Amino acid sequence: MTRQGFYIASLVIITFASVLFMFPLMVTFTNSFMSEQEILLHYRTDLSLFDIVDGVYSRFISFRLIPRDFSLFQYRTVLIDRPLFLMLLVNSIRITAPVTIGNMVVSLLTAYGFTCWRCKRKEILFFVYIVVMLMPLQAVLVPNFIVADWLGLSRSHWAIIWPGIFAPFGTFLLRQSMKGIPNECYEAAQIDGAAGIKVFFYIVVPQMKSGITALAMLVFIEYWNVVEQAVIFIRDFNMEPLSVFLSRIADGRVGLIFAASSVYMLLPFVWLLAGQEHLEKGIELSGIK
Amino acid sequence: MRMTWPIGCKAVSTWFSMNSIKRHAGLLFILPGLMGFVLFYLLPFMVSVWYSFMSRPAGGEFVGLSNYIDLLQSPAYRLGLRNTLVFMGLSVPLNMILSLVAAMLIKNTGRFKPHFVLIFLIPLVIPSGAMVFFWRMFFSSDGFLNNILSSLGFEGVNWLNSEYSMFTLLIIFVWKNLGFNLVLFLSGLSNVPKEYYEAAKTDGAGVLRTTISITLPCLMPITVIVLLMSIINSFKVFREVYLLMGAYPNHSVYMLQHFMNNNFFSLNYPRLTSATTLLSAAMAVITWGLIWLERKASHD
Repeated sequence: MTRQGFYIASLVIITFASVLFMFPLMVTFTNSFMSEQEILLHYRTDLSLFDIVDGVYSRFISFRLIPRDFSLFQYRTVLIDRPLFLMLLVNSIRITAPVTIGNMVVSLLTAYGFTCWRCKRKEILFFVYIVVMLMPLQAVLVPNFIVADWLGLSRSHWAIIWPGIFAPFGTFLLRQSMKGIPNECYEAAQIDGAAGIKVFFYIVVPQMKSGITALAMLVFIEYWNVVEQAVIFIRDFNMEPLSVFLSRIADGRVGLIFAASSVYMLLPFVWLLAGQEHLEKGIELSGIK
Repeated sequence: MRMTWPIGCKAVSTWFSMNSIKRHAGLLFILPGLMGFVLFYLLPFMVSVWYSFMSRPAGGEFVGLSNYIDLLQSPAYRLGLRNTLVFMGLSVPLNMILSLVAAMLIKNTGRFKPHFVLIFLIPLVIPSGAMVFFWRMFFSSDGFLNNILSSLGFEGVNWLNSEYSMFTLLIIFVWKNLGFNLVLFLSGLSNVPKEYYEAAKTDGAGVLRTTISITLPCLMPITVIVLLMSIINSFKVFREVYLLMGAYPNHSVYMLQHFMNNNFFSLNYPRLTSATTLLSAAMAVITWGLIWLERKASHD
């Protein structure tokens, strides 16, 4: 095959796959502009008298990409008329914001410490960080639960937030990305007499902007999507993050689900558009090397 | 800066000499994070291992391995373990192959490359909860998929609650996680030296031959990393299973995570802690083996 032919074939196949991948999101987004009646029309499969008269004995759901009438009804209900939804969105923010900011600060300090601590045994300690980092969430939940019990935190958001702040992944990621800073930078700083703290603020932090953004994005995505911890720790309906709530949305409120989902995914989506290269960098760095 | 020490403090002074302070200054930066790490991870983890050998967490007696024997004999645990392994065995290779193919194709798309990568990354950042309703409408017995199947003349199946549910999970998993592997493979592909391809071209090697003899061997180290990350990420499918099918799904997709999750509600510590310890030990062995393999692959 010629080079040109290969280029066109790749383009066609990937475009096709992209359309498939985008389909769920397109449906969710466009259907959020449907009126409640139209949603019920499309997403209810119980038969009406008219169907039986028409000789239809089974109905299937068919997705419709373009709403018949453009309506902001769902958004008005979700954002203005029903405060419950906004309250749950605030719960998601109250979990995600402290974890993201706290983990960023702690990881930055620890990663810098690992880089400039001159002691051979530090690698053993770092290895422990890596082992814990690679544990699937389910293996960490029982220890998390034990601490939450000791500190009397279970049933509160803090049972999710504290382990999130000290999660070892951030330290690993930032140390990987600090390897990109040439050693001469630290040495030059030390010859000039800049103490550790100064080196940290004036040399390391400014060069780490990209790594820090990558970490913030990955942590944000992880905790915006928190499910397991919420299921275990949060028993109070009003304290749940949105993710768990949306899965339980009853049939009677189906008319709102697309707008609710769209609002929920807006923040990570916009962040991805603004910082795609940071996310890619974060993924590349999170591979162990 | 010169410091003089009072007599009698010689030992202390060598320990606290400027040089050694400088050497260990890094520890000061580590300490706050380390304390949190020990408190929230290491300590409770060790306690959890300890509990796994006790009949009860508080005031129990040492029972040796009996919790583990009970665990391994529990049908629910076995079912969860089996399904988790089956899912891993299917999802990891499937996702790796598809993402490798996607990476090779996207590499050829020139200036459109970042746009395609963006599209495959979107599912990764979308919270699982936002997609649950869509998947339910897509896979339910009167859903969209069965609609298409029946219009093609096939019999529909109950994708959400039957032995076909594993297939549902695979689709959702690949949809959500392909982007992650894709980025890793693309970075691996961009590291293959261009001279290799030029040499192959002068020798008249075709696309297939180049792929087999140059691209794939050069991707070996990154492939091991992708494998490790895929195994870890395969546990994340629980979010979708749980949100879509609840705490007690069809027995064909009852995972290890369901088992552990459900024991949280009865707070069955012997089961929880022994399951945690086993899972951690298994993951530690897998990780260690794969890192060793990666070192070997990138060394050769």
